[in-house]
Amino acid sequence: MAADMSTSFTIEKFEGYLVIKLDSKIEQVSVKEFETQMGSISSNGFVIVNCDSLQIIPRDWLRVLLKLHLNLKKENKFLKLIHINSSLMNFLKKEGVDATFRISKDLRDALIETGLSPKRTLDTDFINPFLNATINTLKIQAQISAEAGQVYVKKPKELIQGDISGVIGIVSDSFNGSVVITFPEKVFLKIISNMLGEEYSKIDNEIVDGAGELTNMIFGQAKVVLNEKGYGIKTAIPSVVCGKDHSLSGLTKGPVVIVPFTTEFGQFFVEICLSN
Amino acid sequence: MFDPKTKVLVVDDMLTMRKIVTKILRELGFTDISEAQDGNEAWEKVKLGNVGLIISDWNMPNCTGLELLKKVRADQDYSKIPFLLVTAEAEQGQVSEAIRSGVDQYVVKPFSKEGLKAKLELTHKKTSARKLA
Repeated sequence: MAADMSTSFTIEKFEGYLVIKLDSKIEQVSVKEFETQMGSISSNGFVIVNCDSLQIIPRDWLRVLLKLHLNLKKENKFLKLIHINSSLMNFLKKEGVDATFRISKDLRDALIETGLSPKRTLDTDFINPFLNATINTLKIQAQISAEAGQVYVKKPKELIQGDISGVIGIVSDSFNGSVVITFPEKVFLKIISNMLGEEYSKIDNEIVDGAGELTNMIFGQAKVVLNEKGYGIKTAIPSVVCGKDHSLSGLTKGPVVIVPFTTEFGQFFVEICLSN
Repeated sequence: MFDPKTKVLVVDDMLTMRKIVTKILRELGFTDISEAQDGNEAWEKVKLGNVGLIISDWNMPNCTGLELLKKVRADQDYSKIPFLLVTAEAEQGQVSEAIRSGVDQYVVKPFSKEGLKAKLELTHKKTSARKLA
């Protein structure tokens, strides 16, 4: 995951494609390393070049990309440029290569157009990262084992009751949604007591934002996994709803799935909603 | 490892997270720990002087951890303060941006005491070399 400060590009490999991110300080680094790396990736699949923040692509770098494009073409694969701003588009036109490269708005569109995009449905591909993140977060941060139960679709008038909930919006360029984690007081207090290393007997201002922090950690881990698949989910800040036996509904329009989790201290629920 | 008397500034908008980091720091022997709720409050505390280590959340309202990092690195009086970013979203683009902005290490949430300790040791190793250079 770490990037070297001296490089002006990074390469991330995914199943069926890789993403090259060009840095805005591209002109300060020798093109030789770039050329060497590009020469070795032509058979790995589709290549997506993220040009976010670039105003131009230096000619020697452009030449390397053109060479890569031609190599990929021989294998019936191709190279796509994404995040092209108007300055860079003008530059590509001026250089006469705007029609040579395939251009997409962002990673998600590029993956849709290459047939690699994940479906925008509440399937296991989308749900499992949240499920794994929930188990991982409780294990590492609170030393509590949680077991996921049967995932089910929430019924139209079904209400999940709890005493404290963490809520976070799922926002991307092409769909929205939400994640709600609802705890009964007893389970929440045990989790927080373990996290902070002292016993709490009631939910008060000192610990109430713990529900938001747990939601944030779970969302953050799931977001990384989903964005590697091209979902393009943006950063969000969680909020907390607190009240005895409260229930939340209608946060976003769309199907909702519920994942019940069991711990030795009781159950809690993760609700995931996705709407296009 | 850092001298336990090092003044540590813990920055996070979430009280719970500040308490978790502070608890671990105390268990590691640190005694001089102060807290700030966002980058703006943290910057005011940095300017009071003597901060020897900043552990800051990334995603905060008002002034993010990355904005705080850039402010610290841009001011020659404070630019060498060891800086550790805490994030729940370690995506490569973000990490690259933090490295370019001069972060010393980053910690991905959730993390254990051992995880934070290892990152602190790496931070100390890196910043000690910087002081010698």
